[in-house]
Amino acid sequence: MSEKELLKGNIAIAASALNSGCECYFGYPITPQTEIGEYLSYEMQKRNLAYVCAESEIAAINMALGAASTGAKVMTSSSSCAVSLMQEAISYACCDELPIVIVNVMRAGPGQGYIYPSQGDYNQSTKGGGNGDYQVIVLSPSSVQECVDLTSRAFYLAQKYRNPVILLADGMLGQMAEPAIIDCNKYEEIDNSSWRLDGAKNRPAREIHSLEPSQLKLNQHILNLKKKYDLIENSEVDYEEYMTDDADIIITAFGTMGRCAKEVVNHYRMQGVKMGLFRPITLYPFPLIRLRELSYRVKTFIDIEMNLGQMLKDVQLAILSNASVAFVGKPVGDWLKKEEMIEAIDNIIKEQYAGIR
Amino acid sequence: MQVYAKPKSIKENSSFTFCSGCDHGLALKLVASVIDELDIQQDTIAVASSGCSVFLYNFLEVDCIESPHGRACAVATGVKRAHKARNNDKIVFTYQGDGDFASIGLGESIHSALRGENITAICINNTNYGMTGGQLGPTTAMGQITTTSPTGRNREYHGFPIKTAEHIALCEGTAFSARVALYDIKNIYNAKNMIKKAFEYQKKGLGFSFVEILSSCPTNWKLSPSDSHKKIKEELTKVYPLKVFKDVLNG
Repeated sequence: MSEKELLKGNIAIAASALNSGCECYFGYPITPQTEIGEYLSYEMQKRNLAYVCAESEIAAINMALGAASTGAKVMTSSSSCAVSLMQEAISYACCDELPIVIVNVMRAGPGQGYIYPSQGDYNQSTKGGGNGDYQVIVLSPSSVQECVDLTSRAFYLAQKYRNPVILLADGMLGQMAEPAIIDCNKYEEIDNSSWRLDGAKNRPAREIHSLEPSQLKLNQHILNLKKKYDLIENSEVDYEEYMTDDADIIITAFGTMGRCAKEVVNHYRMQGVKMGLFRPITLYPFPLIRLRELSYRVKTFIDIEMNLGQMLKDVQLAILSNASVAFVGKPVGDWLKKEEMIEAIDNIIKEQYAGIR
Repeated sequence: MQVYAKPKSIKENSSFTFCSGCDHGLALKLVASVIDELDIQQDTIAVASSGCSVFLYNFLEVDCIESPHGRACAVATGVKRAHKARNNDKIVFTYQGDGDFASIGLGESIHSALRGENITAICINNTNYGMTGGQLGPTTAMGQITTTSPTGRNREYHGFPIKTAEHIALCEGTAFSARVALYDIKNIYNAKNMIKKAFEYQKKGLGFSFVEILSSCPTNWKLSPSDSHKKIKEELTKVYPLKVFKDVLNG
């Protein structure tokens, strides 16, 4: 490939998965991500790869669990209310240390909600929707090109850390088309011969399980997982900064909202307001340290999300200075327009900078 | 001279931790013997489930992954298909209880059979949820007393039990479906042959193969091991007949 093509976000994710060596896909249809499964059904069958139209999302994620135990590169995709159905197996996959790429093209919720784009699953993805102490790596694309790049990175990080990775896109990104390049997969192959289940030939049998009746062993296993999460937090943080060098006001936003907020920054810069954008690309690990550094010289943070303020809590945790944190958001289902954001931010600025501007 | 020895596919220095008189140990030993006889120990991946059946990996010397409750056939599907995508044909089997296979996991079980998923499922049917102390399960017989059916299973409160092997036989993708018991030598011998057949059908790529094993649960039935076997022989086989319900190679 390696030529610019006009690609829909969902197709970009699917094509990038294939390009990243995806060998197994298991899925169940749900709008607004169904094109991922449709595209792969044809392409994977053509290549004799594993593709199953599962009977439910519960079956799909459990097929992924089994496939991942063989060391194969495995993906499933779904959307919000159906990703909820996968939470049990995601908790298992973390405990079992199995690499699975899970794509969530978010729609509006709670419950069935509707197919409008939203960002309502930040908490579920980054804080864990299943039981127990565990962490899933969460990547947040804001363009079709980033859908391509972060899908590749998701496969790499899943294998590298033997951990599930969620690619957290939204219906807007899944359904829109823009030019993108699917280039050679730049990530190295990770050797999994020491743990995969491929038959006990010339070695003792291996077992992958989460059940652990020994209190001591269970405790130790969870502490070992914590060490891995610490390593991830120290090594894999990624974010984009836009005009933050001299900024007095920084907008924090992720995914599609991060991209929309750039336009808002441009608007205020034209008016001479020193505004910048901080866009976390890894939602877990969250770029807490960098945000904390920025907070010592920034007066105001404005967090913008298409939900009622989920990442907001992480932003507030990061900031230890006297900088204020405001929030602009909407319940899921009605995307924030540039004018609405500007109106809300004008009011925040008026209140906080009375007399300055 | 034939020597009666522990199957090689049973882990060295391991001993079963099931309650005394429980048929799980015998069932597992038969599975291990079949794996030995077919010489597939190095090519087999087992899928354990939740309940008493979960401890599979403590006893069998084969690669094993534990599945969330009920999802063993889905997990096995993933294992089988992933190896197939790499042109490795592995033998994959699940070892589940009746609650796992026929209640919480019925969807995964039936759909694996409908897809003709080329895996083998072994289901231990002891007519109750054994590990949690003997509650009413999908296979609890009418009138049977459990901790959650204190006056016996009845139509008004609990409805009817499922005849699993019969249901699986109805699926077009099923190659083999049988119910066996372990209450005497003849039946144990037959059970082993049926398990062997199920694995052989998988080796031949014929589709989903299933063996339901009527098993005793003396602890929760509050019966001695021998009375438990008597109960299976005299009562349960009337509800759950011992039979081959589907065999694609023999009508």
